[in-house]
Amino acid sequence: MTAQSSSVVARHERMVDVRGPRFGAWVTTVVLAVALLTGSGWLVAAQAVVFAVGALGGLRYAPYGVVFRFLVAPRLGPVREREPEAPPRFAQLVGLLFAVIGTLGYLFGSPVTGAVATGLALVAAVLNAATGFCLGCELYLIIRRAQTARAS
Amino acid sequence: MHLCGIRLRAGMSGVGAVVVAVALAVAGGAAWWLRTRDGAVRSPGSEEGGQMQAVLRRLGVRPAEADLTVVQFSTAFCGPCRATRARLQHLQSTRPGLAYVHVDAESHLDEVRELDVRRTPTLFYLDRDGELVGRSSGAPRPEELTALVDAHTGARS
Repeated sequence: MTAQSSSVVARHERMVDVRGPRFGAWVTTVVLAVALLTGSGWLVAAQAVVFAVGALGGLRYAPYGVVFRFLVAPRLGPVREREPEAPPRFAQLVGLLFAVIGTLGYLFGSPVTGAVATGLALVAAVLNAATGFCLGCELYLIIRRAQTARAS
Repeated sequence: MHLCGIRLRAGMSGVGAVVVAVALAVAGGAAWWLRTRDGAVRSPGSEEGGQMQAVLRRLGVRPAEADLTVVQFSTAFCGPCRATRARLQHLQSTRPGLAYVHVDAESHLDEVRELDVRRTPTLFYLDRDGELVGRSSGAPRPEELTALVDAHTGARS
C-alpha cells in the first residue's frame, strides 16, 4: 500500500484494535447485569453516560476503551488486527438509546420498562462480547429499509 | 409503608434476575443461529431467481463476462463486510474467472427491498448464463467461500 492510499484510509476511517471494543462489551455486560440484579437505575444511567461518550466523542474517549488502552493492552501482545471505528461507534449509539429508556424507566416509576430496555442492551452486549457480532450494526439497514417503505 | 417498600424492592430485583436469565438465553440462541446461518448459501426458486436477476442487472451486474459473479451488499456500519470484501478482492486477483461487484446498500434501498436484503454482508452468486446460483447472509467462512468460488471458476486451490 502506498503512503498516499494509506493516508486516504486514515482520513476516512479511524481504526481501532479489535480487542478494545470486545473488552468494552465484557465490561458493559457485567455493569448491565449488576444493574439488573440490583434494580439500580443510577448504574444504568452511568452506563448511558459511558455509551454517550463513546458514541458522540468517539472511541478514543470511550471510558472502557481508555481502560483497555492503558491497563489491558500493555499486558497483551502487540495489535494483530484493526477494524474501522464506525461500526462499534454506531453500536454505542444504539446502546445509548436503550440505556436512556432503561434509566427513565427505573428512575420514573416503571421498573419493568427499565429492566426490559436494560435487558435488550444486555443481549447486544453479551452477544458482542462472546462472538464479536454487532447487533446494533445489523439494525442500521433494517431501520433504513423501513424508512423507505414508509416514504413510498 | 416500610414493609411495602421492602417488598417492592425485592420484586424489582426479582424482575431483574429474570431479565438477566432471559437475556443470556436469547443471546445464546442468537449466537447458535448466527453460527449455523452466517454465510450459508441457499438457492432461491427459479421464478424468484429470475426476478432477482433483473434487479441485479439494473445495478450494473453483467454475469456473461465471468464464470462466476459475486455481488456484495454492504453498509458503512458493518465490520464483517470489510473482511469479506478484502477476501473476495484477493480471490479475484488469483482467479481470472471471478467477477466482483460491490453495492452500497444504503444508496440502493429500492433494490435492497426487492431482493429482500436484511443483513450485511449479503452475497449473490451468478454463473455465466446469468443464473442465480445462490445467496448468503453474514460473512462466509473463508474456506467455504474459496471452495464455492473454485467450484464455479474451475480453479484448483
